[in-house]
Amino acid sequence: MEHNTKKMTGIHGPHSIIPVEKPKDSSSTLKRLFFYFREEKNKILIAFILVILSTFLTLLVPYFTGKIVDALTVSKENINLVEVRKLILFVLTFYVLSSLFMFMQEFLIAGISQRVVYKIRKDVFDKFQKMPVIFFDRTTHGELMSRVTNDIDNINNTISQTMIQFMQTLISTIGTVIIMFYINKIMTLITLATVPIVLLVTKTIANNTKKYFKTQQQFLGSLNGHIEESISGIDVVRMFNKEDDMILKFKKYNDDLKEVGVKAQIWSGFIMPIMNAIGNLTFVIIVLSGSLLVLNNAITIGVVTSFIFYSKQFQKPINELASTFNQLQSGIAGAERVFEILDEEDEREDEPDAIEARDIKGKVEFKHVYFNYSENKEVLKDVSFMVEAGTNVALVGPTGAGKTTIVNLLTNFYEVTRGEILIDDVNIKKYKKNSLRNMFGVVLQDTYLFSGTIKENIRYGKLDATDEEIILACQISNADEFIKRLPDGYNTYIAEGGSNLSQGQRQLLAIARAVLKDPSILILDEATSNVDTRTELKIQEAMINLMKNRTTFIIAHRLSTIRDADVIMMIEDGKIIEKGTHEELIKLKGAYFNLYMSQYLNTAE
Amino acid sequence: MHYIFKYAKKYKKDFSIAIIFLVLEALVDLILPTMMSFIIDNGVKNNDLNYVLKLSFYMLIITLLGASFAVIRNVKSSIVSQSIGKDLREDLYVKINRLSASKISSLTEASLITRLTNDVNQIQNFAHGLMRVFVKAPLLGIGSVVMALALDRTIGLISLLIVPIVMIAIILNLKLSYPIFLKIQKSLDKVNSRLKEYLSGIRVVKAFNRYDYERQRFESVNNDLKSVSISGMRRLAIFSPLVTLLVNLGIVIILWVGSDLVVNNDFEVGKIVAVLNYMTQLLFSLVMSTRIINMYIRSKASSDRLDEVFNAEETLKSPEKPLKIEKDEILLEFKNVYFKYFESTNYVLEDINFKLKPNTTLAIIGTTGSGKSTIVNLILRFFDPNSGEIKFYGKNIKDLDLKKYREKIAVVPQKNLLFTGTILDNLRWGNESASFEEIVNCAKIAMADDFIKTFKDGYDTYLGQGGVNLSGGQKQRLSIARALVKNPELLILDDATSSVDLITERKIKEKLKNNLSTTTILIAQRITSVMDAENIIVLDNGKIEAIGTHDYLLDHSEIYKYIYISQLGEEVANFGA
Repeated sequence: MEHNTKKMTGIHGPHSIIPVEKPKDSSSTLKRLFFYFREEKNKILIAFILVILSTFLTLLVPYFTGKIVDALTVSKENINLVEVRKLILFVLTFYVLSSLFMFMQEFLIAGISQRVVYKIRKDVFDKFQKMPVIFFDRTTHGELMSRVTNDIDNINNTISQTMIQFMQTLISTIGTVIIMFYINKIMTLITLATVPIVLLVTKTIANNTKKYFKTQQQFLGSLNGHIEESISGIDVVRMFNKEDDMILKFKKYNDDLKEVGVKAQIWSGFIMPIMNAIGNLTFVIIVLSGSLLVLNNAITIGVVTSFIFYSKQFQKPINELASTFNQLQSGIAGAERVFEILDEEDEREDEPDAIEARDIKGKVEFKHVYFNYSENKEVLKDVSFMVEAGTNVALVGPTGAGKTTIVNLLTNFYEVTRGEILIDDVNIKKYKKNSLRNMFGVVLQDTYLFSGTIKENIRYGKLDATDEEIILACQISNADEFIKRLPDGYNTYIAEGGSNLSQGQRQLLAIARAVLKDPSILILDEATSNVDTRTELKIQEAMINLMKNRTTFIIAHRLSTIRDADVIMMIEDGKIIEKGTHEELIKLKGAYFNLYMSQYLNTAE
Repeated sequence: MHYIFKYAKKYKKDFSIAIIFLVLEALVDLILPTMMSFIIDNGVKNNDLNYVLKLSFYMLIITLLGASFAVIRNVKSSIVSQSIGKDLREDLYVKINRLSASKISSLTEASLITRLTNDVNQIQNFAHGLMRVFVKAPLLGIGSVVMALALDRTIGLISLLIVPIVMIAIILNLKLSYPIFLKIQKSLDKVNSRLKEYLSGIRVVKAFNRYDYERQRFESVNNDLKSVSISGMRRLAIFSPLVTLLVNLGIVIILWVGSDLVVNNDFEVGKIVAVLNYMTQLLFSLVMSTRIINMYIRSKASSDRLDEVFNAEETLKSPEKPLKIEKDEILLEFKNVYFKYFESTNYVLEDINFKLKPNTTLAIIGTTGSGKSTIVNLILRFFDPNSGEIKFYGKNIKDLDLKKYREKIAVVPQKNLLFTGTILDNLRWGNESASFEEIVNCAKIAMADDFIKTFKDGYDTYLGQGGVNLSGGQKQRLSIARALVKNPELLILDDATSSVDLITERKIKEKLKNNLSTTTILIAQRITSVMDAENIIVLDNGKIEAIGTHDYLLDHSEIYKYIYISQLGEEVANFGA
C-alpha cells in the first residue's frame, strides 16, 4: 500500500465510526430491530399465547385457594373433604400447567433471541464483505470485533430478558385497568393520575441510561481495540520494553470504561426505587381522596379498599414495565452501534449493464489516471501506459512512489479519481467486480494465512483443486520442499496468523496459492522480499513458464527479479518517468541506471 | 467466586455501605405494608381523616427514606461491581503481558480478548446482582420458614423440607448447565478468532474473491455459537419453573395435610392461610435466588477461564537477584546453543557458536526457514535455548534483569508493526524522553524524514492500526528510526531493508556507518547488505555452514558463493571479486 497521504479523509477520523455523542431516535432503531423478528412471528405468537395462559392460571390459583379456605371455614361436621381434595387437585393441575407454560415460554424465547442475534451477526459479516478496503484501514480490528460480539451480546441479553416480562406486564396492566374502570371510573382516574409522572420519569431515566450505555459500549470498543493491537504486537512491545506503557494506556481506557459503566449502572438502577416511591404516593393519593369521597358519601368504604388493592395490583406491572423499558436501552445502544456498521457505505455497485469478465487475455491500459486519498495530495498523476497481453511488467521506484497504488487500482481495491483503466480494451468499471477479481492472482507482501492446515490455505486459491494440483502448485513455487520437511507435511496446522512459519515460508505458500489459481493477470507485490535468493531463483525458474502468455506485474527491489521483465516502468512521485527494457533503460543513463549502478557500486566497493 | 471476594476486600468500605443500606431498604420494605394496613384498618375503615393524614405523611417520609436507601445502595453497589470488573481486567491484562509468546499463542489472541472483555463482564454482572439480593433473598427465605415453623411444627416442617429439595435442584442445575456455558464462551472465542483473521486478511479475501468461502467459514462458527447458546439458555429455562413448581407442590401438600388436620385435629384454618402467605414469600425469595444462581453459573465458567490465564506459568522471568550488566570485551556470545519450538519437532537451531565484539557488525545470511529469526528471538529472550548458553558481556542472559537487558538492544523486526497513534508517538517508543531534534535526526538516518515531511501533518500524522496507511518501505524506515531512537548497545536488523529500494538502502547504510558506532547484527537476504560486515554467518538448516568475512566465504562457502552469483549475475560477481 502506497498511499502517501496520511491524513485520514474527512469521512471518518482514526477511530472512524465512533460518532460524536448524539442521541438518536430510539424508535427507528427499535423498528429496525423488530424487522429481525419477522421470521419469528409465529413463535412469538405462541409465546404470547403461553404468557396469557400462564398469567390466567396464576390468577385462577388465588381464587381456588380462597374456595378451599371457604370450604374449610364451615363447621367441622359440614366439611366435605372429598370436595376440598378435588379443589386441591385442581390447584395442583394449575401449578403444573403454569410451570410447564413458563418453561415453554423460556424455551421458545431462547431460540428466538439466539436466531435473531445470529442473523444480525451474519448481516454484519456480510456487510464487511461489501465494504471497501479503505474502511478497514481506518478502524481498529478490535473495535469492529467488539461490535460483532459485545454489542450483539447486549442485544441478545435484552431480548431474552425483557420479552416475556414485557408481554406479562402488558397483559396484567391492561387487565387491571379494565377491572378498575368496571368498578369505579372516578377512582380509576385518580389511580391513573400518577401515570404521567411515571412516563416522564421513565423517559428521563431511560434517555440517560441509553446515553451512558452507548458510551460504555464505545469505550469497550476502544478498549478492545487496544487489547487486540497490543496483544497481536506483543513481540514488538517486548522488544522495546513497552509493557508498562501499554499497561498504562490500558488503564486509561479501563478507567474510562469503569467511570461510564458506573454511571450507566446507577442510572439503570434508579428506576425501581423511584417507581416504588411513586407507587406509595399513588397509595396515599387514593387513600386521601377515597376518604374524602366517603365523607361526601360519594362512594362506599368497600370500594375504597378494593381500589387500594387494585392500585397495588396495578403498580407492580407499571413498575416492571418501566424497568423493562429501561433495560431495553442497553439493547438499543448495542443495536445502534451495530446498525452504524450496516449503514456504512458499500463498495461501488456493479453497473447494471456490467459484463462477466471471462477469458481475459490480459491487455492492460491506463489512460490519464489520477488518484488521491484526500484532496490535498495526489498519489498518482496522469499515469498512462499500455501493455499487451502476456507482457511481464516490472514496477520500480522509491518507496511511496505509487507502485502499489497502481496495483490497487488495477484490482479495483481503490477507485480512480480521474481517468480510466482498461483491461482487454474494456473499462474495468464495465466488468462485474467479482468476476474481474477472479482473473487476478495477487501475492502481497503481507501474506494472509488463516488457521487451518497448509493444504486448506493453498486450496484458497482454487476451492475445487485436487490434492495433486495443490502439490503441483507447491512444487512450481518451491514450497513443496519445506512443507515436506514439516512433521505433518501438507496437513501441518498453521496457527492464528501463521505465526509458526517464517516470513519467507509464508510468502512461498502465498505464491503457491496464486499459482494454483492460474489467473489471467498475475500481480506480485514484493512477494519474494523475505524469500532467500536461492529460493527466489528457483521460484523464478518455475515462474518463467507460469508468466508466459500471462500479463504479470512485479513490484520488487531486487535487480535479479526486475532484470528479465519485458517492460520496466520507473515510477517516481506518482508519475512514470522511464519505461523500457533493462538494456534500453541502462542506455538511457537515467534514474533506473542510477538505481542499477547503486547496487553495482555496492559490490564494487 | 474467589475473584469477587478477593477484590471486594479492596472496596470494603463501599461494599459494607451497600450492604448496610440494603438491610435498611429491606427494613423499610417490611414496615411499609404494616403502615398501609394501619391506614386502611384504623383510618379508612373508621373514616378517621386525621389519622389517615398523619399516617400518610409518615408513610411518605419513610417511602422517601426507603428510596434514598435504595439509591445509595445502587450507587455503591454499582461502584463496587464496576471497580471489581476494572481491577480484574487490569490484573488479567498485566498477567497476559507477562506470559511467554508460546503460551499466548496456545491460548490464542482472540480468546484472550474474549476473556478480557466478555468473561470479566460476566463476573462483574454477577457481583452487581449479588449485591442486590445478597441479604434480601436469604433473609426473606429464612424468615418465612422460621415463621411457618413457629406457627405450627407439622406444617412448618413441610416448608422446611422444600428447602433441601430445591437445593438438590440447584446443584443439579449447576452440574448440567456449567459445561454448556463453558462451551458458549469457547464458541465466542471462535467467532472472535474468525473475525480477527478475516479482518487482518481482508485484502487477500478481496483479491481472491473468496466471499462465499469466508461466509461459509463465518457461518459455521456463528451457527455453533447460536446452537450452543440456545441449549445453554434452554437448560436454564428448566430451572426457574422447576423451583416454582417445587414450592407450589409444598403449598399443595400443606393444603392437603392442613385440610386433614382441620377435620381431625381442630386445626385453625387461619393458620393455613398464614402459612400459605409465608410460602409465597419463600417462593419469591427462591425465584430471586435462581436468577442469581443462573448468573453464577455463567460467571463460574468465566472465572474458570480466567483461572487458566492467572495460573499459567510466567516463563522467562527475571532472576531474583540479577547480575549487573558491565561492559566487557565480548558483547554477545552463543555457546553450543540448541533450540526447538516444540518438544516433538526437530531442532530449529543446532550447535550455534559465535562471538560478537563491540562496535563490529555480524551478518547472518541463509535460506528461508533456516533459523535466522529464531536467533533474534533467543537473543531477546522470548525463548530460552534447550541447551547451551547465550552470554551478554560475559554473563548468561538468564541471570540478567530482563528489562534492563532488553533496554540495551533495539530490533528492527521483519514484520514492521507500528501502532495506532502519530508517527512521533511511534518513534518515541525507542525512548520516551528523546527530544524532537534527536528523533528527527534518527529519522534522517533512517531516510524517513524526507517522506514524513511530505505529509501534511508531518510527524503528527496519525497512523491506522499496524500503520496500514503507509507503504511497506515507509513502515520499514520508521521501524529503523524507532530502533535508532533507542540508542542501543546492540542493534539487530532482521531483514530490515527488504522493502526499501536499493538507493535508499544504500543511503541508510552509509548514514548508519557515519553516525553510529553501534554493534550490529544484520540479517538479510540481499548479498549487498551483508558483504561489508566484519563477520558473516552462513546459516543452513539451523546449522552454521561457514563463518567469516566476505572474501573468506567466497572461497570457502559454496552456499555463499552461490547466493552471490545468483543475485548479482556472473559479470558483476566477476567484477566484484
